[in-house]
Amino acid sequence: MIQIPPGAFARPGTSLEFKTGTWRVERPVHHRRAAPCHSACPAGEDAQAYLAKVELGDMRGAWETLVSANPLPAITGRVCHHPCESACNRAHYDESITIHGVERFLGDEALRQGWSYPVPIPSADAPRMAVVGSGPAGLAAAYHLLRGGCRVTLIEAMPAAGGTVRTAIPHYRLPPEILEQELDHLLALPGIDFRPRTRLGRDVSLEELRADHEALFLGPGRRKGREWSADFAVPGNLRTGLQLLEAWVAGGALPEQPRSVAIVGGGNTAVDLARVLRREGVEHVHLISHQRVPAPDVPADDAMRATYREVSQALEEGVTIHEHRGVRRLILRGERVVGMELVHMKKLVDANGRLRRVAFEGTETVLHVDQVIPAIGQDVDGLGFESLVRRGYMEVEPWWGSVKGESGIFSGGDARSDHGTVSEAVGDGRRAAIAMLRYRGGKTLEPGAPPEPIPYSDLNLSYFEPAPASKEPVLPPEQRLGLEEIEGGLQANAVRHEAHRCLSCGDCLACDNCWTLCPDQSVLKTREVAADGSHYVFDYDYCKGCGICAHECPTGYIRMVPE
Amino acid sequence: MNEQPLHHLDTLRARQPRFRGLESGHRACQGCGEALAARLTTEAAGPDVIVANATGCLEVFTTPWPQSAWRLPWIHSVFGNVAAVAAGMEAALKQQGRATQVLAFAGDGGTFDIGFQALSGMMERGHDVLFVCFDNEAYMNTGVQRSGSTPHAAMTTTSPPGELRMGKRHMKKDILSIIAAHHIPYAATASVAYPSDLRKKVRRAMDTEGASFLQIHSPCPLGWGHDGAKTIEVARLAVQTGLFPIIEMERGELIGTLPIREPRPVSDYLKLQNRFRHLFASDYRARKELEHLQAIANRNIERFELRGVGPESYDTEGADTVHRGGDRWA
Repeated sequence: MIQIPPGAFARPGTSLEFKTGTWRVERPVHHRRAAPCHSACPAGEDAQAYLAKVELGDMRGAWETLVSANPLPAITGRVCHHPCESACNRAHYDESITIHGVERFLGDEALRQGWSYPVPIPSADAPRMAVVGSGPAGLAAAYHLLRGGCRVTLIEAMPAAGGTVRTAIPHYRLPPEILEQELDHLLALPGIDFRPRTRLGRDVSLEELRADHEALFLGPGRRKGREWSADFAVPGNLRTGLQLLEAWVAGGALPEQPRSVAIVGGGNTAVDLARVLRREGVEHVHLISHQRVPAPDVPADDAMRATYREVSQALEEGVTIHEHRGVRRLILRGERVVGMELVHMKKLVDANGRLRRVAFEGTETVLHVDQVIPAIGQDVDGLGFESLVRRGYMEVEPWWGSVKGESGIFSGGDARSDHGTVSEAVGDGRRAAIAMLRYRGGKTLEPGAPPEPIPYSDLNLSYFEPAPASKEPVLPPEQRLGLEEIEGGLQANAVRHEAHRCLSCGDCLACDNCWTLCPDQSVLKTREVAADGSHYVFDYDYCKGCGICAHECPTGYIRMVPE
Repeated sequence: MNEQPLHHLDTLRARQPRFRGLESGHRACQGCGEALAARLTTEAAGPDVIVANATGCLEVFTTPWPQSAWRLPWIHSVFGNVAAVAAGMEAALKQQGRATQVLAFAGDGGTFDIGFQALSGMMERGHDVLFVCFDNEAYMNTGVQRSGSTPHAAMTTTSPPGELRMGKRHMKKDILSIIAAHHIPYAATASVAYPSDLRKKVRRAMDTEGASFLQIHSPCPLGWGHDGAKTIEVARLAVQTGLFPIIEMERGELIGTLPIREPRPVSDYLKLQNRFRHLFASDYRARKELEHLQAIANRNIERFELRGVGPESYDTEGADTVHRGGDRWA
């Protein structure tokens, strides 16, 4: 303590000698937490992180953050069912952020500007990995292996990359030029040895691949149409939904022109095909599903395994959906279908606690149709790796995708029984790549899970203002005749508006609230970003631990921990 | 970078991009609203100012001899005469031809009650002083005795709820009408929950020639009985309910208000504080007093026309909106 003569004055600022930090029982700490959009993204994208960069005007930085998880944003921005938006905390406040619009904009912008992926060029002696199948799972695996410094041999049975994204997604959802551009952009990366028209089990064997590579990823997709195990007579020339859809996507025409069609099944293939048939002028398109149209209030196991957006657009386009209905028998005239007998059906929990389909007697109806198309799903075509396929699927560890009972073989995407979307495939590929790198390094894999999201109640909403979400332009149903893309993209100003609406859940906004509201001048603002990614440091010499900063932090980034 | 390491706290503290009139190390309680209000006021007013400070919490917790938390010239007056001391300093500075501004700081006791006649004289003589009342609605320094500013029905140590009455029997003194009657050039109210508004009003008052008055609603966690972390929330609710109107006056006439976008029920504000706990008992007297306070809030909203006509950037919801990068607090 400095000595000053007795008298009625004290030097300014000498209170700094008195460390009020000793009073504290709790201390504030910066604590970055996952935003719900991040936890919910099947591909593992951190939307909050790239929205923050968009808000700062750093579009390229935002894209680089985005592609650190998902190398195909122009594609997923169009086709993904965006669970990020269902999870978005802002939905409780006014409306979710239009994250898919931002993702799509960034993906398109990268293609327009020719931004290069932030990936190192692998050295000549880099470890070699093999990826089978160049659908979204295989592409994501190859890309993340490159990011990890490996060289990748990517084999593909078809003449071109893309898998199901290329063969079975109609052009009105994903224009072919976008698909080509983004795939070319990715496959041009040095270090990917892409070999089309190379089929596992025909041109190369599993053993050969294993011998030349340190680990293997299998992304075969599901391409073998499931047998319609009906206990009634079925015409011999029945074609599956996927076959017809692929034929249409490839050539833009259908072999037959019936007047009315029934599609049996409630997945995305069934819905896409129904919409295609409407475009081709089929007057009556019926979709028969033993589940219901997906909607927010319909439980997941009672909802059709199709995207809500696609189903609602199909309804707008005049597709008739028969919910909770099953096929009892087909009505045939010789080999020709003239109708079908339907019955009300529902899944109920049986005595063993399992869901079982129950048909209700006395509810039969007859539907007159000229054609019936089963779209009841596909199995993995296991040519060359038959021993790894169980009951039509690859059986894998759910997070890292290591194939059960094998070492150094990983799998993901549609080949899994529980995954069926592009984003899930991208996430599977990414996690498997990480697992392959760890496997190579001899590290064991702890079971993983998505990060715990910050709940809405941990935000302080006093500091935000309501603002309506930007919506992309949607083609009205009467104009949806050809291959033109139905949903347009957001303009740059709308994208920035969305970034501005982001609540920045769990991450520092640099809003100055803590700095402004600390009664003890114990939050200090830094000129550059502080070590923990915020713009502030706590001066624990003086912080009394009152908790105002934590309580008033708009984003829940500060929490109080006991001393 | 050729800078010093940013986490060297002494260096960082010295480089804060704002004037630090009230420094760390003061002895205010955790979550003190008055300390925050004084920090924000001096931030906007300083550094070329002299502060006269009446006896009270603010004086006690900032200056335990031989230390001072102030980084500007500061003098302690007795409880009742801070306005006279400030007026004298202002006259002397004027005589010397100096531009240094004078501030007078007092609590609600030093404003509404004990210091009132000196304040009235200062305003009447038109001294160019900004008088800031840190209104925490009781004599907190001496142990929470009721003051002229204590709201109706609040519990203090001298207005305990019991069989005869439900907390303070009388109303909160209508100080704004009394100030208005002096026809001073500028008078305003502010709250720690709206710091940008508070600092703007300090600057406005400093730019005003003649006497000006600023009343800042400053929650006292200890005296009001709420969690120190909720100081801002409590202050915000006082404004959002209409119990503490945010207004500006020139020459005694109302010239502006902070509109309330969607008035909150007073119980939202009251239930966070122990001093109003007795109003939530399930008996007639409690229900009656709760409705009484709601009626007072409604009357404030009517009197100052506080009800907003729609979302605005300057209203109870819009005025504290934050943005990435902090430009909002400038």
